[in-house]
Amino acid sequence: MAAEFIAQQLTLAKNISPLAWLTSTNERGQQAFSQAELPTKKHEDWKYTSLYNLSQAGFAATAPEAQAHAPVIPGLSAHRIVIANGEIDTNASDAAALELVVRFRDARPEQQEIIRGLLGEVKADRGHLFADLNDASINDGLFLLVEKNQRLEHPLHIVYANSCSSTAGDEAFTVNTRLLVALEQGAEATVIEHYAGDDTVDGVQNNFTNAVTEIRIGDNAKLTHYRLQLMSESAFHIGGTFIDLQRDARYEGFHLGLGTALTRNDIIVNHNVGGSHCEMNGVYVPQNKQVIDFHTCVEHKVAHCTTNEVFRGIMNNKAKATFNGRIHIHPDAQKTLAELSNKNLLLTNTAEINTKPELEIYADDVQCAHGATVAQLEEKARFYLQSRGISKEDAEIMLSFGFINELLNGLNHEEIGLWLRPQLAQRFGRSDDLSAQLTGEL
Amino acid sequence: MATNAEIESQIKAREYKAGFVTNIESETLPPGLDEDVVRFISAKKGEPEWLTEWRLKAYREWLTMTEPDWAHIGYPKIDYQDISYYSAPKSMDDKPKSLDEVDPELLAVYDKLGIPLHEQMALAGVAVDAVFDSVSVATTFRDKLEEAGVIFMPISEAVHEYPELIKKYMGSVVPQRDNYFAALNSAVFSDGSFVYIPKGVRCPMELSTYFRINEAMTGQFERTLIVADEGSYVSYLEGCTAPMRDENQLHAAVVELVALDGAEIKYSTVQNWYPGDENGKGGIYNFVTKRAVAHTNAKVSWTQVETGSAVTWKYPSCVLKGDNSIGEFYSVALTNNYQQADTGTKMIHMGKNTKSTIISKGISAGKSQNAYRGLVRMGPMAEGARNFTQCDSLLLGDKCGAHTFPYIESKHPSAVVEHEATTSTVSDDQLFLCQQRGIDTEKAVSMIVNGFCKEVFKELPMEFAVEAGKLLEISLEGSVG
Repeated sequence: MAAEFIAQQLTLAKNISPLAWLTSTNERGQQAFSQAELPTKKHEDWKYTSLYNLSQAGFAATAPEAQAHAPVIPGLSAHRIVIANGEIDTNASDAAALELVVRFRDARPEQQEIIRGLLGEVKADRGHLFADLNDASINDGLFLLVEKNQRLEHPLHIVYANSCSSTAGDEAFTVNTRLLVALEQGAEATVIEHYAGDDTVDGVQNNFTNAVTEIRIGDNAKLTHYRLQLMSESAFHIGGTFIDLQRDARYEGFHLGLGTALTRNDIIVNHNVGGSHCEMNGVYVPQNKQVIDFHTCVEHKVAHCTTNEVFRGIMNNKAKATFNGRIHIHPDAQKTLAELSNKNLLLTNTAEINTKPELEIYADDVQCAHGATVAQLEEKARFYLQSRGISKEDAEIMLSFGFINELLNGLNHEEIGLWLRPQLAQRFGRSDDLSAQLTGEL
Repeated sequence: MATNAEIESQIKAREYKAGFVTNIESETLPPGLDEDVVRFISAKKGEPEWLTEWRLKAYREWLTMTEPDWAHIGYPKIDYQDISYYSAPKSMDDKPKSLDEVDPELLAVYDKLGIPLHEQMALAGVAVDAVFDSVSVATTFRDKLEEAGVIFMPISEAVHEYPELIKKYMGSVVPQRDNYFAALNSAVFSDGSFVYIPKGVRCPMELSTYFRINEAMTGQFERTLIVADEGSYVSYLEGCTAPMRDENQLHAAVVELVALDGAEIKYSTVQNWYPGDENGKGGIYNFVTKRAVAHTNAKVSWTQVETGSAVTWKYPSCVLKGDNSIGEFYSVALTNNYQQADTGTKMIHMGKNTKSTIISKGISAGKSQNAYRGLVRMGPMAEGARNFTQCDSLLLGDKCGAHTFPYIESKHPSAVVEHEATTSTVSDDQLFLCQQRGIDTEKAVSMIVNGFCKEVFKELPMEFAVEAGKLLEISLEGSVG
């Protein structure tokens, strides 16, 4: 089946109507992908995550005409772009937002030149076969360029809304999306990548999204990046995020994994010049039979850079999560400060967590630490709440929620936290009362 | 302050002390491996048919397997046809009945290494089994141990004397096809120690095996099997050295521990195989499979000090099968020059309320690479299981590497796993403080390193702790400044 999956995806990639100026990228990707093998559990990087279900699902050649029901983040004034089933929905998007970005398809020759210069530069050869597949199939994408010392007033909110319904007879489809963000010296911006499902339709929505995001943050520039994955519980999502940091650049990222039957996210951060800082947080909350896999890798290539990475996860029902956090300190990266923490809560004895915080260090004058814990809710904390008249169930929900709420509180944009809380609370609560209370109070 | 010349001469004088070669007439099989070699080894040992078949099965499995490449180590491909799989001192052909009949030159080797085989010279309370190249040359204190009912003898003898025990337990912890090196060992293992502690017996003395590779071009494949019956206790020590040679030699051992209900096994290793010279030439490739099964209420404790070997690939593990069983792993791994170590442990929690502790200290100096790789797995039945892991790395020098690869897998909500890791260097402040008080740099570093390893050293039996401290000092020579 694995070979059939590759062949099928390759055919889909070859059937795109290509952009003439990107054909060399397409060809390179097709070449690499055609030689790829679908990784199995014997591959160290895929030890815990099986692609069997993905390879079993067949995907149609074209996506159905989309009815965009793209969610809005209430209270957040943002430039919003809606990409429905892989196509930009100009009606649902803000005109101002469309002005901000360059669509690959509409790029003028000089813009094409810039895009071609950046595309694949950050990713280099770091991605796995799905990044090759993305290369093989690009015929559109978004490019955000923030010029020197410019500051984007409002966040750029890109909603990838996929919608199909098995009950309506829609076939599952594949979407390859590409986002390129470049911040010039001293620029500042906020980008929200929002992968949404469609609540308004019934049935299985087993679409396959393969997203690649490349980000280059210039000298002294700062990017706040949200990557929120709230897709339907039957969807497949494979994401590659590649970030390059120049001198004194700053990256603040928040990665959420909530939906899908299978999510695999690779996040690669490169400290390239020195003085840069990476602040990366993440939350994954799989339930039922969901599988969520985060692989992060921070490359400290030079001296005087810092990284602070915190990921938290709560696994419920028969869910399975994998976290692999790698910090790689190259021989010249002296005076590095890097910390990684990964905490996990298992709520049932059918859920599973596999975590591997890795340190690979080749420089001596560094301070690195990582910590990982796996546990259940603390008995004493629960007892404390119960002794104050809170039922056991409610106490458990509150504690679970508190476990990740800390990271939500740290978000730069309060509106996003406010919007996410009820959705998370509902995961544990199922009781609207309590989720309302929780979100109201906190 | 000593002059540079003095320091240099000191360093030269303090090189690998166990690196001498002994000229003992040996019977060595020509290099190469096929079924005939396996049969030859088996015949040489006069083994029963079932064991020959057991070996051949392992050999056939080995042929279908590939060498593992996931470890963070690099070495030229080993040509398994270029290794001699059997070497024995000739004078051992007619087995000596007692120590008096052992070739005096052989005994002199162990004296030189500081391993007293003569019973009257033995450190009080340590029984030694000495394994020279492929065969066990002497086991001390056997009579006294027999009185207590403890069996401590070369595995090749145990096969004849206690075939049921061997048949029952050999391969029960590390099956033949467990991994590439274990399969190879199962096919060609030459000798090793067998220990059986009967029910409720507390072994009256520490048991010890001393391994020595002497012949060139040989590999050493020994197998240790320790069975502690219900409620018994044993402490076991293992030491290793080899001559300095320019070529690399292979050491692939298997150690199996079985701790039955309520038993306790303490296994300590000071591994000081020849690490190669300062240019990374020569040295032992150390690929070892060590595993223990702990039944209900049993306890297994691994303590290791790894200072030798060019390449170390070693993961002493505990399968905590029974409820309330305990696994411990204390490790100091020091690498210098071009040494590479990928070592750690596996704690497989299967039973309820099982507990494990992992303390790992890695020290890298020179151009060496030192990796901790550990697995903590909480099975679906591991209710109330608990693990604590701490792995710290110390980097001395800017050309070495220290790596941590902890795997944590949990399938039970009430299991608690904690992992902490830090990496740092000896700070200038610490050094300055010592120098201020008249302690020179080298001494200061050695002090700090010793302090760093204290948690592990305190788990070692006393004689070993002293040896380990000295070893560290020697191994660190020339790595400072």
